[in-house]
Amino acid sequence: MPLDTSSYSFALLRLDGRRWNELRRIHAQISTQAAADGSSYLEMGNTKVICTVAGPAEVRRTGGGSADAEVKVEIDIAGFSGVERKKRTKTDKRVAEMCYTIANAFSSSLLTHLYPRSTIQITLHVLSQDGSLLAACLNAATLALIDAGIPMTDYIVACTAGSTSTYSSNDETADPLLDLNGLEEMELPFLTVATLGAGEKVSVLVMETRIQIGRLESMLAVGVDGCKQVREILNEVVRKHGKKVVDSIIE
Amino acid sequence: MPREPGLSLNERSFILQALQENIRIDGRSFDAFRDLDLNFGDEVISRISAEVAKPFPDRLCDGIFTITTELSPVASPAFEVGRQTDQEVILSRTLEKAIRRSGALDTESLCIIAGQKCWSIRADVHLLDYDGGLVDASCIAVIAALQHFRRPDVSIEGEDVTVHTMEERVPVPLSLLHHPICVTFSFFLGGDVVLIDATLQEELLRNGELIIAVNRHGEVCQIAKLGGVAIEALTLLNCANVALTKAQWITRFISSKLEEDLRAKTPGSLLAELSAENER
Amino acid sequence: MTSLKRTTAGDPHGANISSKVFVRSTKSGKVQKIVRELYLRQDIPCSSTLCSLCLSNAPADANGAASESPQRLRNVPVVPFVLSDRPAGTKTFPNGHYLVPDTNVLLNGMDLFEQASAFYDVIILQTVLEELRNRSIPLYNRLVGLTRSGEKRFYIFFNDFRLETYVARDPGETINDRNDRAVRRAVKWYGEHLQQAVKAAGRARRCPSIVMLSNDKDNLRKARKEKLEACSLHDYVSGLPEADRLLDMINEIREEQGSRTAHGTLFYPEYFTQSKMMTGMKAGTLHQGLFNVSPYNYLEGSVHVPAFENALIVLGRENMNRAVQGDAVVVEVLPKDQWKAPSSKIIEEEVLNRNENADADEQEAVITEQEQKALVEEAKKTQGRSIGGHPQPTAKVVGVVKRNWRQYVGHVDTTSVSLSTNEGRRQQTVFLIPMDKRIPKIRIRTRQARELLGKRVLVTIDSWDRDSRYPVGHFVRSLGELETKEAETEALLLEHDVQYRPFPKAVLDCLPKEGHDWKVPANKNEPGWKGRRDLRDLLVCSIDPPNCQDIDDALHARPLPNGNFEVGVHIADVTHFVKPNNAMDSEASGRGTTVYLVDKRIDMLPMLLGTDLCSLKPYVERFAFSAIWEMTPDADVVDAVFTKSVIRSREAFSYEQAQRRIDDASQKDPLTIGVRTLLMLSKKLRKKRMDAGALNLASPEVKVQIENETSDPVDVEVKRQLDTNSLVEEFMLLANISVAGKIYGAFPQTAMLRRHGAPPASNFQELQNQLKVKRGLELRTESSKALADSLDTCVDMNEPFFNTLIRIMATRCMMSAEYFCSGTQSYSEYRHYGLASEIYTHFTSPIRRYADIVAHRQLAAAIDYEQLDSSLHSKGNLESLCKNINARHRNAQMAGRASIEYYVGQALKGQIVEEEGYVMKVFSNGFVVFVPRFGIESLVRLRDLAVPEPEATFDGENYVLKTTGSRTETIVLFEKVLVRISDQKEESTGKRKIRLELVRSGGLS
Repeated sequence: MPLDTSSYSFALLRLDGRRWNELRRIHAQISTQAAADGSSYLEMGNTKVICTVAGPAEVRRTGGGSADAEVKVEIDIAGFSGVERKKRTKTDKRVAEMCYTIANAFSSSLLTHLYPRSTIQITLHVLSQDGSLLAACLNAATLALIDAGIPMTDYIVACTAGSTSTYSSNDETADPLLDLNGLEEMELPFLTVATLGAGEKVSVLVMETRIQIGRLESMLAVGVDGCKQVREILNEVVRKHGKKVVDSIIE
Repeated sequence: MPREPGLSLNERSFILQALQENIRIDGRSFDAFRDLDLNFGDEVISRISAEVAKPFPDRLCDGIFTITTELSPVASPAFEVGRQTDQEVILSRTLEKAIRRSGALDTESLCIIAGQKCWSIRADVHLLDYDGGLVDASCIAVIAALQHFRRPDVSIEGEDVTVHTMEERVPVPLSLLHHPICVTFSFFLGGDVVLIDATLQEELLRNGELIIAVNRHGEVCQIAKLGGVAIEALTLLNCANVALTKAQWITRFISSKLEEDLRAKTPGSLLAELSAENER
Repeated sequence: MTSLKRTTAGDPHGANISSKVFVRSTKSGKVQKIVRELYLRQDIPCSSTLCSLCLSNAPADANGAASESPQRLRNVPVVPFVLSDRPAGTKTFPNGHYLVPDTNVLLNGMDLFEQASAFYDVIILQTVLEELRNRSIPLYNRLVGLTRSGEKRFYIFFNDFRLETYVARDPGETINDRNDRAVRRAVKWYGEHLQQAVKAAGRARRCPSIVMLSNDKDNLRKARKEKLEACSLHDYVSGLPEADRLLDMINEIREEQGSRTAHGTLFYPEYFTQSKMMTGMKAGTLHQGLFNVSPYNYLEGSVHVPAFENALIVLGRENMNRAVQGDAVVVEVLPKDQWKAPSSKIIEEEVLNRNENADADEQEAVITEQEQKALVEEAKKTQGRSIGGHPQPTAKVVGVVKRNWRQYVGHVDTTSVSLSTNEGRRQQTVFLIPMDKRIPKIRIRTRQARELLGKRVLVTIDSWDRDSRYPVGHFVRSLGELETKEAETEALLLEHDVQYRPFPKAVLDCLPKEGHDWKVPANKNEPGWKGRRDLRDLLVCSIDPPNCQDIDDALHARPLPNGNFEVGVHIADVTHFVKPNNAMDSEASGRGTTVYLVDKRIDMLPMLLGTDLCSLKPYVERFAFSAIWEMTPDADVVDAVFTKSVIRSREAFSYEQAQRRIDDASQKDPLTIGVRTLLMLSKKLRKKRMDAGALNLASPEVKVQIENETSDPVDVEVKRQLDTNSLVEEFMLLANISVAGKIYGAFPQTAMLRRHGAPPASNFQELQNQLKVKRGLELRTESSKALADSLDTCVDMNEPFFNTLIRIMATRCMMSAEYFCSGTQSYSEYRHYGLASEIYTHFTSPIRRYADIVAHRQLAAAIDYEQLDSSLHSKGNLESLCKNINARHRNAQMAGRASIEYYVGQALKGQIVEEEGYVMKVFSNGFVVFVPRFGIESLVRLRDLAVPEPEATFDGENYVLKTTGSRTETIVLFEKVLVRISDQKEESTGKRKIRLELVRSGGLS
């Protein structure tokens, strides 16, 4: 049994050697799947996700559809992605909730009214899990949607924020933590936050653990700040890719 | 596919216009709950049942606690049997996170013999009539039902387990560690207007929702803002504080109702006669 | 590409990401491969106040950075630098030194590191900390405590996160070798880093040496090869000023081995098969009995089996083989060379095994090394020579017939809990220390370990497998904070299996519908009057303790024309209300008895009956069951009549009131005269009984005075005996004896009787020997009469309490009285030894004892008042009934005593009192003192006498313990000593205990 998260207070170092406000390594690529309308590959530490986007495409069902484009999300979590091999059923409510969240978030950020009676299909493949899964999915989807060229008001970027305090103690010395890995997620209270644009507008906020209400503010602040950092990184990736595309066209 | 009839354009603009003028169509203020009635069976029914079962192999020292939800066509023509809708997913996930994952029920106390026998507690939520506020109402119903429930007493002798009938031994209440209450906030007009306990009509019009589960000790048990319109972080924090005061009020309401129920069922004088532990 | 924005900014090397891969196996046996990222960095400070480089890039926490002020005092880091710039030097390291201990050093010598005289400026490496946590959570917690306290300047250096000191595991390298290498690398880096720091400072400072401490010879050799300062713990300590004293603190057993493996017995022996046990028992090679653990030595158990007069002794964990107090076990007698005398040493589990890890991921030894050591010492003493007794047969447990596990109350061992600030959601394995010292620690898996600290907890044992040193159980519920009245009361009720839960609703239906308004029917033709005598005109009164609510008995006496007296004992007619086999009856028979605690009563029957309708309250008419005798003035019984009746008590006296009334010569009313007659007769009855050989035994009884409002104990006083106490007692005995004869006559096979077996002579051996050696007194035990007489001779002119002390000790040699069904014993076995009566039963307290209810029903049938219920005709049924009420009775007594003990403890809380006490028992490493003033009895250990523990010689033949060295005392059995009584909270357990300190021994003036 290696040390657990309680060792943070010895030297203000987390289990993987990071400080409280450091993101893990983020690596992202755009246009990884030529066959898809838009695609991306994103790593946040050891959490690895591939995203493809199909559409906007016409609704096949008879009877029309709504005035706005419908965003559909499907998540496939590979059996080998976790520590233990697990077979997930189609009806896993946790995954269904994630799909709903992603779809609902992008429905508001994409300019769906431009594509009446059509669907935008986002498909996510989780290759490896080590915490911040929902955040990684949201980030990968943003990149893939940009790659697909679907107009949006702004990036949706996400990350997680935790706290070194337990739910029962309201100790003031607890530090908020940015971008939790799998082990930290198991031991500490944390939330996933996604912001729209560079401001502090929160599109998604999910917390599944118990915590004193007083700790919420600092966690949220660190999370929003983390989102800004993630946005910079994703922006960099998009611009690099855009430059490459433009260069290739000029040539 | 039968659907909830959408609102007409007139209705739509009327309600939104009213909200803009700080008026809700049923005349409530923005942060008011509708009247809450709790008589252990109405609108939302929550039933708790207990049976002895074998614990899960990876949780040998824990009992089993499951919450199942059923949205049947009884409540609204929009609900169908056997099809899992987003709404049902959100409801059952929220209850799962707010009540089960937050450790409201002490599952370790449900263990009878580790690895062999434990109590399996099941909470069934049935919706009878639907007019918005599904999550909030279901959560209150389950929490109240868990507090109201009594399971048969068991005794262990060596390695033998005896389950005593209700007549034989006074049944025991469940060990609840805290009482989470869900409060849903609905956002309108791009997030400028925030309502508590939206009606069905209001729900159809909202741009986003935020569900906060909090107990009266000020512990947030889960937060779910699953997409929708983006809201300023500060507004969200305000909502959490409002949720806390609402939860405290509802918790008090539940316990007063429970006391009423207990008094109605057992006349005080006889109850005193049955106590075995007495002052010398 | 890099993404660690903040660190990369000022970091020329860029972020270095490595990953740590390891394989672990889960509890269910699955093998998991874990991959973790490691972010290597250069801003982890060395924490030496010599170094200014590290100070400039020390880390900040969220609060520090939140302010983001550039003026933030750069030389006040959030985590202060601890290592001194002038560390202490030794002969070998004159420039001063920092210590870097290896894991094995901490495992062996944690006590050394806690010393105030040495071991300052210690660098604990992350590698070492992780290993230590794996090996022993208690040691880990101690180390963390040392670090947090700051006094000793311990610093935890995260070497695996620092770029320069990180060591990747080479292919084929064992994890231990890698860790050793990591330690050496860190030592090397520290050395070089400090050199630079000192040079950079430019001051003429001498650079402290970095000293690696390890007991691993291989690691030492490699370190020296790499030109590092390294030495073994032993060598290092030898160079310190107080070497001799400190060297003793190194754990010898672990010393010899350098490697990181554990050794010991791996499994408990397997149990015999059912058929093998049956065959063995038939052949007489195996024996079955109940397993009992010595309250003074948890490693010594005993099993009483019919084939041996003395109990078989079961020594050590391996021989005990997973038997728990109370289990029905099958044992095999060991060969004669392994026989031994009962222990003369106190062995307590909490002292021996406090550094154990509750989480048993690795294979573990059944017997800890410390235990083995204690046992070997014991064995050495008893081998060959016999000290304080003859060698007794020993045995080992080979099978368990029936587990007698119940729910146990205890508290979580604080040191076994990983005190991390994590969510608490994760399951931990912790130890539960049961209140009952005879029960081993129980391993509990729980997610609420932190919440349970400092609470009284109820747990159940689930299983005890061969590969686990301790039984495994689970948490049931928490009773509340330790030491609160509610939690402790509930705990003692649970511990003694007292049923305190409310009566079930079905009992309501069995109560009279009129409730408290029930009255004796006015009309004598009502069915309730059938067969009853109207005794309402008799001058009946009751005498009880003050404020007694459940009045079982009342008395009357009046002169008869022929010069004889009519004496009546009237007992509450409970069976009129409690009919056989209904819900109330089965509830009462399950409870068996009412339990009296200091401030509470746990009723056998609902209050409506117990304190009202059955209770023979004064001034109201009540149904009763009366025994009426005609007696001569010499208290010889001429005639006895039993009848159901209706009485009206004229007065309810307390013992004191009755006594005053008798003593007040001005009172001449008939009631008072009646009571005086009763007293006169009772004295004669008593004389007769004593002449017949009844024993006058003593037990230390005290009464706790309680303040009414708060129920807080105020004072403790020794119970006084008044004449009126024995007045009531004598007539109750008479009634019980008379009824016993009557029901035995009517139901020779199924009468409910009570017997008290004659104790086997061997029970008195020890006491006889003690009296002979110490006082030259002879205790004769061939009959109760002889015992009673010889007890009277055990007096010490200078010491009035001596006789009481001997009586208390003699009482403990007795068998306990028991209920039995007449058909199960031969008539000669019916005898009540203590009362010197050939037959006896319980009849006089039906409100609070179920046995009396049975006797009432049988007596009612014997006088043809009603039909006897068929269940009381069945011998088997009565036998199981007796078994239950015997157990309940015993438990009730113990619960009552425990309650007094708790309140005495509370009354003494925060006080320090000096009191006289008497030595009751002498061990080779301690003695037991009894303090009559508070009725308490407690152990004084040698190590409590002085620090360091004094040397002692124990003369077992003469019961003398002589201490020399740090304190010179002579402890002699039976001698008066002066002790200081205080209360103390035990650190390891959080329990409040009475603590006795020896002020002076012997020769009190």
